Amino acid sequence: MIYSWKKIVKHGLPLLSVFIFAEIFAGNILQNKQDMLILYPIFLVSFPVINGVAGNIGSVLGARIASGLHVGYIEISFFDKKMHDNLFSAIFIGLSSFFVLGLVIYYFSYYFLDQRHVSLFNFMFIILLAGFLLVFIVSIVSIVTAFYSFKKGFDPDDFIAPVVTTVGDVLGIFLLFLLISLFYL
Amino acid sequence: MYAREMIRQSLPLIILCGFGGIIAGSTLSAMIDLFYSIPGLIVVIPAIIALRGNISTALGSRLGSAYHLGVIDADNLWNDDLKQNIIGSLVLSFLISIIIGFFAYITTILFFNLHPDPVKLISIVILAGIFSAIILTFLTVIIIYFVFKRGFDPDNITGPALATFGDIITMFCIFFSAIFIEVIA
Repeated sequence: MIYSWKKIVKHGLPLLSVFIFAEIFAGNILQNKQDMLILYPIFLVSFPVINGVAGNIGSVLGARIASGLHVGYIEISFFDKKMHDNLFSAIFIGLSSFFVLGLVIYYFSYYFLDQRHVSLFNFMFIILLAGFLLVFIVSIVSIVTAFYSFKKGFDPDDFIAPVVTTVGDVLGIFLLFLLISLFYL
Repeated sequence: MYAREMIRQSLPLIILCGFGGIIAGSTLSAMIDLFYSIPGLIVVIPAIIALRGNISTALGSRLGSAYHLGVIDADNLWNDDLKQNIIGSLVLSFLISIIIGFFAYITTILFFNLHPDPVKLISIVILAGIFSAIILTFLTVIIIYFVFKRGFDPDNITGPALATFGDIITMFCIFFSAIFIEVIA
């Protein structure tokens, strides 16, 4: 037997508590905007999608950079060509996903949640801009986390997913409401 | 551009996870009345989704490594190593759920001057945390079993599969826990 539940709890608890604390602040932003979310349920449907997509892209990108560092075809440098290819692909995946999912969210909310007083153009503008900024920042965080943990001799695979999903969640909710208040309401 | 393969393999899965997010988000929009009657409830949502994502993907990747190390496989699945992993995930979920409820209670008082019922809020989080932990832990084991049986690499499948189902199951668990506690309280 190589696993023990006590070790799993002991290793997981400290880091998880820190991340959970950050997530509670994301939740506080939602509480603060609760009245607006009730008028515009379309944004209530959007935030788990934005957070999920950004977290997934960041994790995939980080895992690929980590494998590249392990195998040796990516170097720790912000000018690495292969790293740039991966970064551009991540942004392309982000924009295409948010375009498709934004349309689905819009028409879903229009027909099922009776969200008639939001224009398609305004909604897509906010989703694509928030999505682009979020995927860009999360990708940079993912690459920096991969480089840093690799340099320090830790396995990047242990750190990238939790760091990237937490940053993505907090920043995703923050960016969404920032753009809504700047351009919309 | 070798990163094209990243777009081909990841884009469909990421959009699929996005659809999971839309279902999770619509569950949120069905909870609007509950957010008004239970202040602080919306604060715990990002944290519970993140808790679930972190614990179940960590479990999935540990079981993936255990498979690569030869500790478990399809014919030798239900052994002590698996049981220790399951107990570890459940204990961790229980402890973190208490922390989430506590943080949410404190910040709701500090930032919003609302006074949620601490017993109610913390019991909803614990109930939702434990229920989603049990469902997702067994779902992980079932996914891992089929992945082993088919001879796929668990590292490629469990992450995205858990991300898609995780959000939906977690949101349903929060929804039903909130209604249950609201009815008996």
